[in-house]
Amino acid sequence: MIACVAVVGHQNNPLYIQSFTEADDALKLHHIVHCSLDVVDERVNNPKKSGPTLNETFLGLLYPTENYKVYGYLTNTKVKFIIVTTHLDVRDADFFRRFHAAYVDAVSNPFHVPGKKITSTTFAERVSTIVKSFGLSSAG
Amino acid sequence: MEPDVSIETSCMIRIAVLPIGTVPPTLLRDYHSMLLRHHRIPLSAISSFYTEHQKSPFTQQPWDTGSLRFKFVLGGAPPSPWEDFQSNRKILAVIGICHCPSSPDLDSVIEQFNFACKGYSSALVKRCFAFSPSDSHLENGAKKGENLLLFPPADLQMQEFHLQTMMQDIAASLLMEFEKWVLKAESAGTLLKTPLDSQASLNSEEVIKAKKRRLARAQKTIGDYCLLAGSPVDANAHYSTALELARLTSDFFWYAGALEGSVCALLVDRIGQKDPVLEEEVRYRYNSVILHYRKSFIHDNAQRVSPLSFELEATLKLARYLCRRELAKDVVELLTSAADGAKSLIDASDRLILYVEIARLFGTLGYQRKAAFFSRQVAQLYLQQEKRSAAICALQVLAMTTKAYRVQSRASISKHSLSGETGSSYADGGKRHHQSVVSLFESQWSTLQMVVLREILLSAVRAGDPLAAWSAAARLLRSYYPLITPAGQNGLASALTNSAERLPSGTRCADPALPFVRLYSFPMLPSQMDIIKRNPGRDDWWVGSAPSGPFIYTPYSKVDPNDSSKQELIWIVGEPVQVLVELANPCGFDLRVDSIYLSTHSENFDAFPVIVDLPPNSSKVITLSGIPTSVGVVTIPGCTVHCFGVVTEHLFRDVDNLLLGAAQGLVLSDPFRCCGSAKLKNVSIPDISVVPPLPLLLSHVVGGDGAIILYEGEIRDVWISVSNAGTVPVEQAHISLSGKNQDSVISIAYEALKSALPLKPGAEVTVPVTLKAWQLGLVDHETASTKSASGSTGRHLKDGSSPSLLIHYSGPLMSSGDQSVLPPGRRLVVPLQINVLQGLSFVKARLLSMEIPANVGENLSTPVSVDSTEGIIGSENKMEKLMKIDPFRGSWGLRFLELELFNPTDVVFEISVSVRLENSNKDGLSSDQDATEYGYPKTRIDRDYSARVLIPLEHFKLPILDGSFFVKDLKSDGSTGGRNSSFSEKNTKAELDASIKNLISRIKVRWQSGRNSSGELNIKDAIQAALQTSVMDVLLPDPLTFGFRLVRKDSEKAKKLGLPKDSVLAHDMTPMETIVRNNTMEVIKISLSVTCRDVAGENCIEGSKGTVLWSGVLDEIAMEVLPLQESRHCFSLYFLVPGEYTLVAAAVIDDANNILRARAKTDSPDEPIFCRGPPFHVRVTGTV
Repeated sequence: MIACVAVVGHQNNPLYIQSFTEADDALKLHHIVHCSLDVVDERVNNPKKSGPTLNETFLGLLYPTENYKVYGYLTNTKVKFIIVTTHLDVRDADFFRRFHAAYVDAVSNPFHVPGKKITSTTFAERVSTIVKSFGLSSAG
Repeated sequence: MEPDVSIETSCMIRIAVLPIGTVPPTLLRDYHSMLLRHHRIPLSAISSFYTEHQKSPFTQQPWDTGSLRFKFVLGGAPPSPWEDFQSNRKILAVIGICHCPSSPDLDSVIEQFNFACKGYSSALVKRCFAFSPSDSHLENGAKKGENLLLFPPADLQMQEFHLQTMMQDIAASLLMEFEKWVLKAESAGTLLKTPLDSQASLNSEEVIKAKKRRLARAQKTIGDYCLLAGSPVDANAHYSTALELARLTSDFFWYAGALEGSVCALLVDRIGQKDPVLEEEVRYRYNSVILHYRKSFIHDNAQRVSPLSFELEATLKLARYLCRRELAKDVVELLTSAADGAKSLIDASDRLILYVEIARLFGTLGYQRKAAFFSRQVAQLYLQQEKRSAAICALQVLAMTTKAYRVQSRASISKHSLSGETGSSYADGGKRHHQSVVSLFESQWSTLQMVVLREILLSAVRAGDPLAAWSAAARLLRSYYPLITPAGQNGLASALTNSAERLPSGTRCADPALPFVRLYSFPMLPSQMDIIKRNPGRDDWWVGSAPSGPFIYTPYSKVDPNDSSKQELIWIVGEPVQVLVELANPCGFDLRVDSIYLSTHSENFDAFPVIVDLPPNSSKVITLSGIPTSVGVVTIPGCTVHCFGVVTEHLFRDVDNLLLGAAQGLVLSDPFRCCGSAKLKNVSIPDISVVPPLPLLLSHVVGGDGAIILYEGEIRDVWISVSNAGTVPVEQAHISLSGKNQDSVISIAYEALKSALPLKPGAEVTVPVTLKAWQLGLVDHETASTKSASGSTGRHLKDGSSPSLLIHYSGPLMSSGDQSVLPPGRRLVVPLQINVLQGLSFVKARLLSMEIPANVGENLSTPVSVDSTEGIIGSENKMEKLMKIDPFRGSWGLRFLELELFNPTDVVFEISVSVRLENSNKDGLSSDQDATEYGYPKTRIDRDYSARVLIPLEHFKLPILDGSFFVKDLKSDGSTGGRNSSFSEKNTKAELDASIKNLISRIKVRWQSGRNSSGELNIKDAIQAALQTSVMDVLLPDPLTFGFRLVRKDSEKAKKLGLPKDSVLAHDMTPMETIVRNNTMEVIKISLSVTCRDVAGENCIEGSKGTVLWSGVLDEIAMEVLPLQESRHCFSLYFLVPGEYTLVAAAVIDDANNILRARAKTDSPDEPIFCRGPPFHVRVTGTV
């Protein structure tokens, strides 16, 4: 299942972090997301020259840690989507695309200030729906 | 586990470095660093110290290229239980360091050294280096055992040389010892055990197995020694054997160890090479090493010891070997698995080392956040130990993480970047601004940042570092107050206070705590102290330098492109200045700022501290002041604040950035807005320059600075006292006026000021100024008329209506020839606070006129020689002054302008009227009378009463009715006349107005109230309005003047009777003549008729009852009167009845011209123009 999803802005500022675990490990997940930025940064700064990854927004597995796997997705405005899963492979960018669409809708709100944390409840609901459906589909 | 492991660690000879006796720490560090330079001794260098006692077992020793490597362990280390497994873990040599001056007794030194060496049984070579010996030491030092080596006092280079020799000697000795050991081990064999081996007694099968294993282990150990001896090829050979044997005996642990050694041998052999093949080989072998270490895990002794640490160490070694950006993924994988393994580690210190290593490797990989994460783990492990030293370590480790989490102390930033930052000029301020905003972005990981800061605070408190604790608490409170509960805020506040108690007073900290300080404004100088740049080219130097006109900014003023954005401020040496700053305390406790003052980095400013108390959640604007002390530039980057016991500098720029961040939603909250303070525009810090002292004029109105209360039209003198409060004399001064109602200042005694120059410091001069209060209604009237809106009535005047005196003044010009820098001048604004009260109010004005008939006498009226009106008035008739004869009508006429005035005030007014006599005669005939003034008795008007004032007007009749009033008319149509009547009328009007104005200007109505107030009533408009209607009557003479005169020839009779000379007798023929004077410039044809009436008004000449007989013609007398001439017509009357009679002459003008028509106010040319003279009285005295 997905333990945590996060949106991180182009200046590595957190825009949205939501954990979906029962336990009180928000801080730990914050740390994991924070640390994953190292890997994203590295991928951004040293893009692999090889063809298939050239325009690929899906960064794949960023790094495995303890019980979690961290996957990343990078938009061309350098906004990062990061999910932390517990032993669950994310094979394609489908989840991220839906996540991205939700984000785009949220920041298209004229009252949203770019760079500010996303506080929209609609966005939160939509993300949690996506997360739930992902958990179901991969479980099944 | 050991820190700082790498694959090459296996070939390093470990040497314990021990201080013997007391060695000062700094010296010990110096000696240690000297030793460190010799961590690698080439084999070629030690050959001279090496003697081959037996045949060397290191057959393949590369004497040319090889080297011995040392690893110095300062302070030594306890023997490891794994010494047998990895020989490099043994302490193979001991070096004692002794500082002779601090431990003079060499015997005891030797004793101590020997004692210290006992702990290192594995040490093969022991030496004690004694530095800086005295002569006596040198004398008897030689005979002390060979282990003690005295370094003769010499310069550093010499000492280095000595040390190098000694190290080469040690290396050679070690090499020889290794040879001995290997030879012994090959022949006799040794028992090699690790804690991993079962302690239980072995059964027979295992004994056999153990024997086989022993061989393998011996080979591995010999390989280790070969490596240490710098002979990788030999080592490799032994390792190969060991690997073979170990695999057979499935001694996986030793197999892995041998494999590790072989990799090291491979690397040492191919030192400096880094080809992918080699790298692949190393990686392959090390993976196998890791695998075999894992295989060697035995369950029954897992509780006690575990090969896990070796597995992890091997992982770290490989990771360090691979640690490059290109291989980041592999390294991360290795490090992640190592971190996963940490949980199974039994020993806490092992885990500590592991995390330290992981953090370091992540750091070298460029993964700062990961490194910070593991550093925090390290710090947490340190904090689990309840020792102060551990807390200090934790603090230091955490301090390293602050950069990744963006919670650095400003002290650490300033070391690196701030110096460069302040060096950069103000010009690229915008760029830097942006930079710091970027750093705000990552400061949003508040959850993580607060945890880190809290840990720093905790460890600092435990470590007993109050400054670090203060700094952490300050950062926590300042940055995250919105996320901290009021109780937590209080806790932080008390943490700050507690830390400060342990600090010496006046301690400075780079990190500001509370309050938030921002620049509010630079108040401009009060108008009394305005500084005006001198315009050097002009005499009136103030012109053009100060903005004039109502606009603060005019697009037409010259704009200098360089400083268009920056405002400039001039401060003066020795004159206090003020800056407003706003403080905010967004926290839930009372904040007391012990002192706050402007911090300037330039040395020419004395700031005055202020104490401020800020209640919870409040903001306050305070005034900070100071005195510039010398000429130059002042920069004010912020405020120095003494709060919570520590002195900090609060930079305005930081708060500006914070507020900018808050505006963009990057920062949690705007501290000022959450305190209810309004949003403020970004106040830019102006360029402040300090100029040398200037004079400073202060002014006050003598008799009190309150408002000057005047009634309308009141004239009063005020004295303005101006004194120089500066330290420089005033050399130039100029007074000008500004503001509204400037004409109310009648005169200024410029000379008084001019004559007082130069005004020395402390000197004073009084300038009299004469004021005349303006008309309240007049202003209203004017505004109403200009705006053509009649609605505004009785609008009260505001304070802005008073004029101000502007005094521009300046000190002496610089005596030096440098004309380019003129000291600026100053401007003193003295607002004249004039409060005009309503005075007498004008109700109405009207013209009154009355006629009193004149008596017909012998020399009556003689109107023709009219010019000497005064003669008639003054000398002959002795009439009352008010009665004036109308010379043109020949009758007594009175004309008054009646003014009705009302006194709405609560004081009494006295009105006096005076008329300045100035004949409008252009000829100036009575020029001697011109300046005469006629005064009339005063009229007193009590409060709330109205009174009438009469102004006599009869002096103002023109002598001739000519074209002067109709100039345009006459000129335009000349003799033909009357074409453009409307045009001529207009001109007539204008001419008349002019003469009325002339007339009015000669009337002055002055008033006086009490002792001090006096003034003049402005009634011009009123008079003009009153005169407008009857202007012709007042001003213009009639075209014809009629008069009667007795022509006495028989005066004897009257004389007999004793009658007055000009009396008329009844029953007597009285010859008379009518005189008709033409007052125009044209010939007038008239038909004259004369009538006589009795008292009852009956015509007594005609009719049946006529009581007067006559001779001559009385009716329809056709006459032609030449211009300005008179004609006479004689006739005689015979009065039958004595009594009062009235003679009246009248005439009808034939062929009247335009002037006459205009005078008669007729339009139609057919209408006859009828002139009627005034009545003349004739008193007929009866005779018996």
